[in-house]
Amino acid sequence: MRVLTEISELLQKGKAKDVKALVQQALDEGIPAQDILEQGLLAGMSVIGKKFKNNEIYVPEVLVAARAMKMGSQVLAPMIAEAGVEPLGCVIIGTVQGDLHDIGKNLVKMMFEGKGFSVVDLGVDVAPETFVEAAIEHDAQIICLSALLTTTMGVMGDVVKAVEAAGLRDKVKIMIGGAPVTEAFCAQIGADKYTVDAASAADAAKDMMMN
Amino acid sequence: MQKDTMTASERYRAYLSGLPVDRAPVIEQAPWWDLTIHRWATEGLPAELDKMDTVEDYFRRVEDIQGYFGLDRTLGPWFEPVTAETPVAPSHGAGIMEDEDDYARIKPTLYPPVETKISADYGAWMNACHRRGDTILSLGMPGPFWFPRNMFGIENHLYSFFDYPELYKEMVDDYAAWLEKLLPYILDRFHVDVVGFSEDMSYNGGAMISKELFDEFLAPFYRRLVPLVHSYGIPVSIDSDGNITEAVDWYASVGADMMSPLERQAGVDVSVYLEKQPSMGFVGHFNKLCMKEGEEAMRAEFERLLPSMQKGKFIPSVDHQTPPEVSFENYKIYLKLLNEYARKIDTERQGILPCPVFAKK
Repeated sequence: MRVLTEISELLQKGKAKDVKALVQQALDEGIPAQDILEQGLLAGMSVIGKKFKNNEIYVPEVLVAARAMKMGSQVLAPMIAEAGVEPLGCVIIGTVQGDLHDIGKNLVKMMFEGKGFSVVDLGVDVAPETFVEAAIEHDAQIICLSALLTTTMGVMGDVVKAVEAAGLRDKVKIMIGGAPVTEAFCAQIGADKYTVDAASAADAAKDMMMN
Repeated sequence: MQKDTMTASERYRAYLSGLPVDRAPVIEQAPWWDLTIHRWATEGLPAELDKMDTVEDYFRRVEDIQGYFGLDRTLGPWFEPVTAETPVAPSHGAGIMEDEDDYARIKPTLYPPVETKISADYGAWMNACHRRGDTILSLGMPGPFWFPRNMFGIENHLYSFFDYPELYKEMVDDYAAWLEKLLPYILDRFHVDVVGFSEDMSYNGGAMISKELFDEFLAPFYRRLVPLVHSYGIPVSIDSDGNITEAVDWYASVGADMMSPLERQAGVDVSVYLEKQPSMGFVGHFNKLCMKEGEEAMRAEFERLLPSMQKGKFIPSVDHQTPPEVSFENYKIYLKLLNEYARKIDTERQGILPCPVFAKK
Protein backbone atom coordinates (compact mmCIF):
# COMPACT_ATOMS: atom_id res chain seq x y z
CA MET A 1 0.00 0.00 0.00
CA ARG A 2 1.30 3.40 -0.99
CA VAL A 3 0.69 5.03 2.37
CA LEU A 4 2.81 2.43 4.18
CA THR A 5 5.67 3.01 1.75
CA GLU A 6 5.34 6.74 2.35
CA ILE A 7 5.45 6.23 6.12
CA SER A 8 8.64 4.20 5.73
CA GLU A 9 10.24 6.79 3.45
CA LEU A 10 9.30 9.76 5.63
CA LEU A 11 10.53 7.93 8.72
CA GLN A 12 13.89 7.42 7.01
CA LYS A 13 14.04 11.17 6.42
CA GLY A 14 13.24 11.85 10.07
CA LYS A 15 10.00 13.68 9.31
CA ALA A 16 8.32 12.95 12.62
CA LYS A 17 5.24 15.15 12.24
CA ASP A 18 4.56 13.83 8.73
CA VAL A 19 4.95 10.25 9.91
CA LYS A 20 2.53 10.86 12.74
CA ALA A 21 -0.04 12.36 10.36
CA LEU A 22 0.32 9.55 7.82
CA VAL A 23 -0.02 6.87 10.49
CA GLN A 24 -3.30 8.49 11.51
CA GLN A 25 -4.34 8.67 7.87
CA ALA A 26 -3.56 4.99 7.39
CA LEU A 27 -5.65 4.11 10.43
CA ASP A 28 -8.49 6.24 9.10
CA GLU A 29 -8.28 4.33 5.83
CA GLY A 30 -8.86 1.14 7.77
CA ILE A 31 -5.37 -0.33 7.54
CA PRO A 32 -4.72 -2.62 10.53
CA ALA A 33 -2.38 -1.16 13.14
CA GLN A 34 -0.08 -4.15 12.98
CA ASP A 35 0.40 -3.68 9.22
CA ILE A 36 1.19 -0.01 9.73
CA LEU A 37 3.70 -0.95 12.41
CA GLU A 38 5.41 -3.71 10.49
CA GLN A 39 5.19 -2.49 6.88
CA GLY A 40 5.53 1.21 7.63
CA LEU A 41 7.44 2.02 10.80
CA LEU A 42 9.53 -1.12 11.35
CA ALA A 43 10.23 -1.42 7.63
CA GLY A 44 11.60 2.13 7.66
CA MET A 45 13.74 1.51 10.74
CA SER A 46 15.04 -1.68 9.19
CA VAL A 47 16.36 0.34 6.24
CA ILE A 48 17.88 2.86 8.68
CA GLY A 49 19.59 0.03 10.58
CA LYS A 50 21.10 -1.42 7.43
CA LYS A 51 22.30 1.95 6.17
CA PHE A 52 23.81 2.78 9.56
CA LYS A 53 25.59 -0.55 9.65
CA ASN A 54 27.02 0.14 6.19
CA ASN A 55 28.12 3.69 7.12
CA GLU A 56 25.71 5.15 4.58
CA ILE A 57 24.07 7.29 7.26
CA TYR A 58 25.33 8.64 10.58
CA VAL A 59 24.16 9.12 14.16
CA PRO A 60 21.97 12.24 13.69
CA GLU A 61 20.05 10.58 10.84
CA VAL A 62 19.40 7.54 13.04
CA LEU A 63 18.23 9.72 15.91
CA VAL A 64 15.71 11.70 13.87
CA ALA A 65 14.43 8.52 12.20
CA ALA A 66 13.98 6.86 15.59
CA ARG A 67 12.16 9.93 16.85
CA ALA A 68 9.79 9.71 13.86
CA MET A 69 9.18 6.05 14.63
CA LYS A 70 8.43 6.88 18.24
CA MET A 71 5.84 9.51 17.24
CA GLY A 72 4.21 7.12 14.81
CA SER A 73 4.22 4.33 17.39
CA GLN A 74 2.50 6.55 19.93
CA VAL A 75 -0.46 6.92 17.56
CA LEU A 76 -0.61 3.16 17.12
CA ALA A 77 -0.02 2.19 20.75
CA PRO A 78 -3.70 1.89 21.87
CA MET A 79 -4.63 -0.20 18.83
CA ILE A 80 -1.56 -2.41 19.15
CA ALA A 81 -2.34 -3.03 22.81
CA GLU A 82 -5.99 -3.74 22.00
CA ALA A 83 -5.02 -6.21 19.29
CA GLY A 84 -2.74 -7.99 21.74
CA VAL A 85 0.32 -7.73 19.50
CA GLU A 86 3.26 -9.08 21.45
CA PRO A 87 6.71 -7.51 21.17
CA LEU A 88 9.54 -9.65 19.83
CA GLY A 89 10.94 -9.81 23.33
CA CYS A 90 11.86 -7.71 26.32
CA VAL A 91 15.30 -6.15 26.64
CA ILE A 92 16.77 -4.53 29.75
CA ILE A 93 19.38 -1.97 28.73
CA GLY A 94 21.71 0.33 30.62
CA THR A 95 25.19 1.81 30.92
CA VAL A 96 27.07 0.03 33.69
CA GLN A 97 27.89 1.42 37.10
CA GLY A 98 30.50 4.18 37.15
CA ASP A 99 29.90 5.13 33.53
CA LEU A 100 27.76 8.12 32.58
CA HIS A 101 27.88 7.82 28.78
CA ASP A 102 24.62 7.03 27.10
CA ILE A 103 24.60 7.97 23.43
CA GLY A 104 25.74 4.50 22.34
CA LYS A 105 23.27 2.87 24.68
CA ASN A 106 20.47 5.07 23.33
CA LEU A 107 21.31 4.13 19.75
CA VAL A 108 21.15 0.45 20.61
CA LYS A 109 17.82 1.02 22.34
CA MET A 110 16.42 2.70 19.23
CA MET A 111 17.62 -0.13 17.01
CA PHE A 112 16.02 -2.69 19.32
CA GLU A 113 12.74 -0.81 19.24
CA GLY A 114 13.06 -0.65 15.48
CA LYS A 115 13.14 -4.45 15.43
CA GLY A 116 9.97 -4.71 17.50
CA PHE A 117 11.45 -5.33 20.96
CA SER A 118 10.09 -3.69 24.08
CA VAL A 119 13.00 -2.02 25.84
CA VAL A 120 13.35 -1.08 29.50
CA ASP A 121 16.02 1.62 29.71
CA LEU A 122 17.67 1.79 33.12
CA GLY A 123 19.77 4.81 32.14
CA VAL A 124 23.42 5.28 33.12
CA ASP A 125 25.53 4.31 36.13
CA VAL A 126 23.43 1.19 36.72
CA ALA A 127 24.44 -1.25 39.47
CA PRO A 128 24.64 -4.99 38.64
CA GLU A 129 21.80 -5.88 41.03
CA THR A 130 19.54 -3.30 39.33
CA PHE A 131 19.90 -5.14 36.01
CA VAL A 132 18.95 -8.39 37.76
CA GLU A 133 15.94 -6.85 39.52
CA ALA A 134 14.68 -5.33 36.25
CA ALA A 135 15.13 -8.59 34.36
CA ILE A 136 13.02 -10.39 36.97
CA GLU A 137 10.37 -7.67 37.14
CA HIS A 138 9.90 -7.49 33.36
CA ASP A 139 10.51 -11.17 32.64
CA ALA A 140 13.20 -10.07 30.15
CA GLN A 141 14.95 -12.32 27.69
CA ILE A 142 17.97 -10.08 27.13
CA ILE A 143 20.15 -7.79 29.26
CA CYS A 144 22.14 -5.35 27.19
CA LEU A 145 25.16 -3.60 28.75
CA SER A 146 27.04 -0.56 27.55
CA ALA A 147 30.39 0.92 28.68
CA LEU A 148 32.57 3.60 27.16
CA LEU A 149 35.43 3.49 29.62
CA THR A 150 38.15 0.92 30.11
CA THR A 151 37.72 1.54 33.82
CA THR A 152 34.03 0.58 33.82
CA MET A 153 33.93 -2.28 31.34
CA GLY A 154 34.89 -4.63 34.17
CA VAL A 155 31.48 -4.02 35.74
CA MET A 156 30.00 -5.98 32.85
CA GLY A 157 31.61 -9.08 34.35
CA ASP A 158 29.98 -8.23 37.68
CA VAL A 159 26.58 -8.15 35.97
CA VAL A 160 27.20 -11.59 34.46
CA LYS A 161 28.05 -12.89 37.94
CA ALA A 162 24.98 -11.23 39.47
CA VAL A 163 22.74 -12.83 36.84
CA GLU A 164 24.32 -16.21 37.57
CA ALA A 165 23.91 -15.72 41.32
CA ALA A 166 20.21 -14.90 40.82
CA GLY A 167 19.73 -18.18 38.95
CA LEU A 168 18.73 -16.40 35.73
CA ARG A 169 21.67 -17.35 33.53
CA ASP A 170 19.72 -19.96 31.53
CA LYS A 171 16.79 -17.60 30.97
CA VAL A 172 18.55 -14.37 30.07
CA LYS A 173 21.05 -13.65 27.31
CA ILE A 174 23.63 -10.97 28.07
CA MET A 175 24.84 -8.70 25.29
CA ILE A 176 27.66 -6.17 25.64
CA GLY A 177 29.03 -3.29 23.61
CA GLY A 178 30.89 0.00 23.76
CA ALA A 179 34.13 1.57 22.62
CA PRO A 180 36.62 -0.50 24.68
CA VAL A 181 34.68 -3.77 24.50
CA THR A 182 35.85 -6.62 22.30
CA GLU A 183 34.83 -10.14 21.31
CA ALA A 184 37.65 -11.50 23.47
CA PHE A 185 36.41 -9.52 26.47
CA CYS A 186 32.92 -10.90 25.89
CA ALA A 187 34.26 -14.43 26.04
CA GLN A 188 36.43 -13.61 29.03
CA ILE A 189 33.53 -12.46 31.21
CA GLY A 190 31.12 -15.11 29.97
CA ALA A 191 28.64 -12.81 28.24
CA ASP A 192 26.66 -14.19 25.30
CA LYS A 193 27.15 -11.67 22.53
CA TYR A 194 29.30 -8.71 21.55
CA THR A 195 28.54 -6.63 18.49
CA VAL A 196 30.50 -3.79 16.98
CA ASP A 197 27.58 -1.44 16.41
CA ALA A 198 23.99 -0.71 17.38
CA ALA A 199 22.34 -2.11 14.26
CA SER A 200 24.28 -5.37 14.54
CA ALA A 201 23.19 -5.64 18.17
CA ALA A 202 19.53 -5.50 17.18
CA ASP A 203 20.08 -8.02 14.38
CA ALA A 204 21.89 -10.37 16.75
CA ALA A 205 19.17 -10.04 19.39
CA LYS A 206 16.49 -10.87 16.84
CA ASP A 207 18.49 -13.92 15.74
CA MET A 208 18.79 -15.04 19.36
CA MET A 209 15.04 -14.71 19.86
CA MET A 210 14.25 -16.61 16.66
CA ASN A 211 16.60 -19.48 17.42
CA MET B 1 72.08 8.13 25.46
CA GLN B 2 72.88 10.99 23.06
CA LYS B 3 72.66 14.49 24.50
CA ASP B 4 69.80 16.64 23.33
CA THR B 5 70.83 19.56 21.17
CA MET B 6 67.43 21.19 20.59
CA THR B 7 64.84 22.72 22.89
CA ALA B 8 61.44 21.03 23.08
CA SER B 9 59.86 23.81 21.04
CA GLU B 10 62.58 23.76 18.36
CA ARG B 11 62.40 19.99 18.09
CA TYR B 12 58.61 19.97 17.84
CA ARG B 13 58.49 22.53 15.05
CA ALA B 14 61.38 20.92 13.16
CA TYR B 15 59.79 17.49 13.47
CA LEU B 16 56.51 18.75 12.01
CA SER B 17 58.41 20.62 9.30
CA GLY B 18 60.15 17.47 8.11
CA LEU B 19 63.53 18.99 9.06
CA PRO B 20 66.44 17.31 10.86
CA VAL B 21 66.01 16.81 14.62
CA ASP B 22 68.16 15.45 17.43
CA ARG B 23 65.40 12.93 18.27
CA ALA B 24 61.63 12.59 18.10
CA PRO B 25 59.62 14.61 20.65
CA VAL B 26 59.01 12.71 23.89
CA ILE B 27 55.69 13.97 25.24
CA GLU B 28 52.50 13.04 27.00
CA GLN B 29 49.71 14.42 24.83
CA ALA B 30 47.30 14.61 27.79
CA PRO B 31 47.78 15.43 31.48
CA TRP B 32 47.83 12.60 34.00
CA TRP B 33 44.84 10.85 35.49
CA ASP B 34 44.56 11.82 39.15
CA LEU B 35 43.88 8.20 40.22
CA THR B 36 47.05 7.10 38.45
CA ILE B 37 49.09 9.78 40.20
CA HIS B 38 47.55 8.78 43.56
CA ARG B 39 48.65 5.20 42.95
CA TRP B 40 52.16 6.15 41.89
CA ALA B 41 52.54 8.30 44.99
CA THR B 42 52.26 5.07 47.00
CA GLU B 43 54.89 3.42 44.80
CA GLY B 44 57.66 6.00 44.73
CA LEU B 45 56.46 9.16 43.01
CA PRO B 46 57.37 12.11 45.29
CA ALA B 47 54.36 12.97 47.44
CA GLU B 48 54.51 16.68 46.55
CA LEU B 49 53.59 15.76 42.95
CA ASP B 50 50.30 14.29 44.18
CA LYS B 51 48.75 17.56 45.31
CA MET B 52 46.09 18.69 42.88
CA ASP B 53 43.54 20.48 45.00
CA THR B 54 42.58 23.14 42.46
CA VAL B 55 42.47 23.26 38.67
CA GLU B 56 45.36 25.73 38.67
CA ASP B 57 47.29 23.45 41.02
CA TYR B 58 46.61 20.60 38.71
CA PHE B 59 48.04 22.20 35.58
CA ARG B 60 51.10 23.51 37.35
CA ARG B 61 51.60 20.10 38.92
CA VAL B 62 51.41 18.50 35.49
CA GLU B 63 54.35 20.63 34.47
CA ASP B 64 56.24 19.48 37.57
CA ILE B 65 55.45 15.84 36.78
CA GLN B 66 56.62 16.27 33.20
CA GLY B 67 59.87 17.66 34.56
CA TYR B 68 60.23 14.82 37.05
CA PHE B 69 59.90 12.23 34.30
CA GLY B 70 62.24 14.13 31.94
CA LEU B 71 59.62 14.58 29.23
CA ASP B 72 59.54 17.39 26.70
CA ARG B 73 57.15 19.64 28.57
CA THR B 74 53.85 20.59 27.02
CA LEU B 75 51.72 23.36 28.38
CA GLY B 76 48.11 23.32 27.24
CA PRO B 77 46.07 26.32 28.36
CA TRP B 78 42.39 25.88 27.49
CA PHE B 79 40.13 28.68 26.33
CA GLU B 80 36.35 28.62 26.18
CA PRO B 81 34.01 31.50 25.34
CA VAL B 82 32.33 31.33 28.73
CA THR B 83 32.28 33.44 31.88
CA ALA B 84 31.40 32.87 35.52
CA GLU B 85 27.84 33.91 34.63
CA THR B 86 27.38 31.26 31.92
CA PRO B 87 25.01 28.50 33.11
CA VAL B 88 26.60 25.19 33.99
CA ALA B 89 25.20 21.91 32.68
CA PRO B 90 23.27 20.14 35.47
CA SER B 91 24.92 16.80 34.73
CA HIS B 92 27.46 15.15 32.49
CA GLY B 93 26.30 15.30 28.89
CA ALA B 94 23.40 17.63 29.58
CA GLY B 95 23.09 20.94 27.81
CA ILE B 96 22.46 24.50 28.93
CA MET B 97 20.10 25.48 26.11
CA GLU B 98 17.48 24.08 23.76
CA ASP B 99 16.51 26.71 21.22
CA GLU B 100 16.90 30.25 19.87
CA ASP B 101 15.32 31.86 22.91
CA ASP B 102 17.70 30.10 25.28
CA TYR B 103 20.70 31.15 23.19
CA ALA B 104 19.53 34.76 23.16
CA ARG B 105 19.25 34.62 26.94
CA ILE B 106 22.66 32.98 27.46
CA LYS B 107 24.58 34.88 24.80
CA PRO B 108 25.29 37.94 26.99
CA THR B 109 27.24 35.63 29.32
CA LEU B 110 29.36 34.31 26.46
CA TYR B 111 32.21 35.74 24.38
CA PRO B 112 33.86 37.88 27.08
CA PRO B 113 36.49 40.52 26.33
CA VAL B 114 39.48 38.48 25.24
CA GLU B 115 41.92 40.20 27.60
CA THR B 116 40.01 38.67 30.52
CA LYS B 117 40.93 35.17 29.40
CA ILE B 118 44.57 35.37 30.50
CA SER B 119 45.45 36.77 33.89
CA ALA B 120 48.77 38.60 34.27
CA ASP B 121 49.95 35.78 36.51
CA TYR B 122 49.04 33.11 34.01
CA GLY B 123 50.63 35.06 31.17
CA ALA B 124 53.84 35.44 33.13
CA TRP B 125 53.87 31.71 33.75
CA MET B 126 53.34 30.94 30.05
CA ASN B 127 56.21 33.25 29.16
CA ALA B 128 58.46 31.75 31.81
CA CYS B 129 57.76 28.25 30.56
CA HIS B 130 58.68 29.24 27.05
CA ARG B 131 61.75 31.26 28.03
CA ARG B 132 63.22 28.10 29.51
CA GLY B 133 62.87 26.68 26.00
CA ASP B 134 61.76 23.32 27.32
CA THR B 135 58.02 23.74 26.88
CA ILE B 136 55.79 23.18 23.87
CA LEU B 137 52.96 25.66 24.23
CA SER B 138 49.72 24.24 22.86
CA LEU B 139 46.61 26.39 22.99
CA GLY B 140 43.43 24.37 23.30
CA MET B 141 39.85 25.40 22.55
CA PRO B 142 36.56 23.84 21.51
CA GLY B 143 35.95 23.21 17.84
CA PRO B 144 32.67 23.81 15.99
CA PHE B 145 31.41 20.33 16.92
CA TRP B 146 32.46 20.48 20.59
CA PHE B 147 31.23 23.99 21.41
CA PRO B 148 27.60 23.49 20.27
CA ARG B 149 27.62 20.06 21.94
CA ASN B 150 28.42 21.68 25.27
CA MET B 151 25.62 24.15 24.67
CA PHE B 152 22.91 21.71 23.50
CA GLY B 153 24.03 18.63 25.42
CA ILE B 154 25.29 15.46 23.79
CA GLU B 155 22.07 14.06 22.38
CA ASN B 156 20.21 17.27 21.52
CA HIS B 157 23.35 18.47 19.77
CA LEU B 158 22.98 15.62 17.30
CA TYR B 159 19.32 16.53 16.72
CA SER B 160 20.24 20.20 16.32
CA PHE B 161 21.71 19.68 12.83
CA PHE B 162 18.14 18.96 11.72
CA ASP B 163 16.07 20.86 14.29
CA TYR B 164 18.00 24.12 14.56
CA PRO B 165 20.36 24.39 11.57
CA GLU B 166 20.32 28.18 11.41
CA LEU B 167 20.85 28.50 15.16
CA TYR B 168 23.78 26.09 14.95
CA LYS B 169 25.38 28.21 12.24
CA GLU B 170 24.73 31.41 14.17
CA MET B 171 26.41 30.00 17.29
CA VAL B 172 29.45 28.79 15.37
CA ASP B 173 29.62 32.13 13.57
CA ASP B 174 29.53 34.04 16.87
CA TYR B 175 32.17 31.77 18.34
CA ALA B 176 34.44 32.14 15.28
CA ALA B 177 34.12 35.94 15.53
CA TRP B 178 35.23 35.75 19.17
CA LEU B 179 38.21 33.58 18.27
CA GLU B 180 39.17 36.07 15.58
CA LYS B 181 39.78 38.47 18.46
CA LEU B 182 41.19 36.00 20.98
CA LEU B 183 43.74 34.32 18.75
CA PRO B 184 45.54 37.48 17.60
CA TYR B 185 45.47 38.76 21.18
CA ILE B 186 47.33 35.64 22.35
CA LEU B 187 49.48 34.95 19.31
CA ASP B 188 50.75 38.54 19.21
CA ARG B 189 51.86 38.30 22.86
CA PHE B 190 53.03 34.76 23.47
CA HIS B 191 55.14 32.20 21.69
CA VAL B 192 52.77 29.38 20.73
CA ASP B 193 53.77 26.09 19.10
CA VAL B 194 50.38 24.72 18.10
CA VAL B 195 46.70 25.71 18.22
CA GLY B 196 44.41 22.79 18.94
CA PHE B 197 40.68 22.51 18.39
CA SER B 198 38.98 19.77 20.37
CA GLU B 199 36.13 18.02 18.61
CA ASP B 200 35.58 14.40 19.69
CA MET B 201 33.50 14.03 16.57
CA SER B 202 34.06 10.30 16.16
CA TYR B 203 33.34 7.14 18.11
CA ASN B 204 34.49 3.58 17.62
CA GLY B 205 32.09 3.18 14.67
CA GLY B 206 33.56 6.16 12.82
CA ALA B 207 32.48 9.77 12.41
CA MET B 208 29.30 10.75 14.24
CA ILE B 209 28.16 12.98 11.41
CA SER B 210 28.29 12.73 7.65
CA LYS B 211 30.65 14.55 5.32
CA GLU B 212 27.66 16.59 4.16
CA LEU B 213 26.97 17.84 7.69
CA PHE B 214 30.69 18.42 8.24
CA ASP B 215 30.90 20.52 5.09
CA GLU B 216 27.80 22.52 5.93
CA PHE B 217 28.24 23.12 9.66
CA LEU B 218 31.92 22.69 10.56
CA ALA B 219 34.06 23.37 7.51
CA PRO B 220 33.20 27.11 7.26
CA PHE B 221 34.60 27.62 10.78
CA TYR B 222 37.90 26.04 9.84
CA ARG B 223 38.11 27.80 6.49
CA ARG B 224 37.83 31.03 8.46
CA LEU B 225 40.22 30.28 11.33
CA VAL B 226 42.90 27.95 9.97
CA PRO B 227 44.32 30.67 7.65
CA LEU B 228 44.41 33.04 10.63
CA VAL B 229 46.47 30.59 12.71
CA HIS B 230 48.63 29.70 9.74
CA SER B 231 49.37 33.38 9.16
CA TYR B 232 51.38 33.19 12.40
CA GLY B 233 53.29 30.17 11.11
CA ILE B 234 51.57 27.95 13.67
CA PRO B 235 50.11 24.52 12.91
CA VAL B 236 46.49 23.60 13.67
CA SER B 237 45.81 20.35 15.46
CA ILE B 238 42.47 18.57 15.81
CA ASP B 239 41.68 16.38 18.78
CA SER B 240 39.05 13.77 18.06
CA ASP B 241 38.54 10.54 19.93
CA GLY B 242 37.29 7.40 18.30
CA ASN B 243 37.79 6.08 14.81
CA ILE B 244 38.85 9.08 12.72
CA THR B 245 39.60 7.19 9.53
CA GLU B 246 37.03 9.19 7.56
CA ALA B 247 37.45 12.40 9.54
CA VAL B 248 41.20 12.61 8.85
CA ASP B 249 40.42 13.38 5.23
CA TRP B 250 37.71 15.88 6.12
CA TYR B 251 39.98 17.81 8.48
CA ALA B 252 42.79 17.67 5.94
CA SER B 253 40.42 19.25 3.44
CA VAL B 254 40.04 22.33 5.66
CA GLY B 255 43.78 22.74 6.20
CA ALA B 256 44.40 20.99 9.54
CA ASP B 257 48.04 20.06 10.09
CA MET B 258 47.76 17.40 12.77
CA MET B 259 45.39 15.05 14.58
CA SER B 260 45.38 13.27 17.92
CA PRO B 261 44.96 11.05 19.98
CA LEU B 262 44.41 8.13 17.54
CA GLU B 263 42.82 5.72 19.98
CA ARG B 264 44.03 2.22 19.30
CA GLN B 265 40.96 0.79 21.03
CA ALA B 266 38.80 2.44 18.38
CA GLY B 267 40.59 0.39 15.75
CA VAL B 268 42.59 3.21 14.15
CA ASP B 269 45.93 2.64 12.42
CA VAL B 270 48.32 5.56 12.03
CA SER B 271 50.16 3.87 9.17
CA VAL B 272 46.98 4.11 7.08
CA TYR B 273 46.66 7.82 7.85
CA LEU B 274 50.29 8.53 6.96
CA GLU B 275 49.70 6.76 3.68
CA LYS B 276 46.65 8.81 2.72
CA GLN B 277 47.56 12.14 4.34
CA PRO B 278 51.36 12.29 4.23
CA SER B 279 51.41 16.03 4.98
CA MET B 280 49.64 15.64 8.30
CA GLY B 281 51.24 15.00 11.66
CA PHE B 282 49.77 12.59 14.21
CA VAL B 283 50.14 12.35 17.98
CA GLY B 284 49.13 9.55 20.34
CA HIS B 285 48.14 6.01 19.27
CA PHE B 286 50.21 4.09 21.85
CA ASN B 287 47.95 1.29 23.06
CA LYS B 288 47.77 2.03 26.77
CA LEU B 289 46.10 -1.30 27.53
CA CYS B 290 49.44 -3.08 27.05
CA MET B 291 51.24 -0.94 29.65
CA LYS B 292 50.23 -3.05 32.62
CA GLU B 293 51.67 -6.15 30.98
CA GLY B 294 55.29 -5.08 31.24
CA GLU B 295 58.30 -4.42 29.03
CA GLU B 296 57.85 -7.14 26.45
CA ALA B 297 54.32 -6.04 25.57
CA MET B 298 55.28 -2.36 25.50
CA ARG B 299 58.33 -3.03 23.33
CA ALA B 300 56.14 -4.94 20.88
CA GLU B 301 53.83 -1.93 20.72
CA PHE B 302 56.76 0.43 20.03
CA GLU B 303 57.99 -1.94 17.32
CA ARG B 304 54.55 -1.65 15.72
CA LEU B 305 54.83 2.14 15.80
CA LEU B 306 58.47 2.59 14.77
CA PRO B 307 57.90 2.27 10.99
CA SER B 308 55.32 5.06 11.20
CA MET B 309 57.73 7.22 13.22
CA GLN B 310 60.29 6.66 10.48
CA LYS B 311 57.85 7.36 7.70
CA GLY B 312 56.16 10.57 8.79
CA LYS B 313 55.46 13.17 11.41
CA PHE B 314 54.12 10.76 13.99
CA ILE B 315 54.76 11.41 17.70
CA PRO B 316 53.88 8.36 19.80
CA SER B 317 52.17 9.09 23.09
CA VAL B 318 49.65 7.36 25.33
CA ASP B 319 46.24 7.96 23.79
CA HIS B 320 44.62 10.01 26.52
CA GLN B 321 45.99 9.11 29.92
CA THR B 322 47.82 6.23 31.53
CA PRO B 323 45.20 4.21 33.41
CA PRO B 324 45.49 3.59 37.15
CA GLU B 325 46.15 -0.14 36.72
CA VAL B 326 49.62 0.71 35.35
CA SER B 327 52.23 0.56 38.10
CA PHE B 328 54.83 3.25 38.64
CA GLU B 329 57.48 0.70 37.67
CA ASN B 330 55.76 -0.13 34.38
CA TYR B 331 55.32 3.56 33.60
CA LYS B 332 59.05 4.10 34.08
CA ILE B 333 59.69 1.23 31.67
CA TYR B 334 57.30 2.88 29.21
CA LEU B 335 59.28 6.13 29.43
CA LYS B 336 62.59 4.31 29.00
CA LEU B 337 61.25 2.74 25.81
CA LEU B 338 59.70 6.02 24.61
CA ASN B 339 63.10 7.68 24.90
CA GLU B 340 64.82 4.71 23.28
CA TYR B 341 62.53 4.68 20.24
CA ALA B 342 62.58 8.49 19.94
CA ARG B 343 66.26 8.09 19.11
CA LYS B 344 65.76 5.26 16.63
CA ILE B 345 64.35 7.50 13.91
CA ASP B 346 66.35 8.83 11.00
CA THR B 347 67.19 12.22 12.49
CA GLU B 348 67.90 13.68 9.06
CA ARG B 349 64.18 13.15 8.30
CA GLN B 350 64.84 12.62 4.61
CA GLY B 351 61.74 12.44 2.45
CA ILE B 352 59.38 13.66 5.19
CA LEU B 353 56.85 16.21 3.94
CA PRO B 354 56.20 19.30 6.08
CA CYS B 355 52.82 19.95 7.68
CA PRO B 356 50.70 22.28 5.51
CA VAL B 357 51.54 25.39 7.55
CA PHE B 358 55.27 24.87 7.10
CA ALA B 359 54.90 23.97 3.44
CA LYS B 360 53.55 27.48 2.80
CA LYS B 361 56.78 29.14 3.89
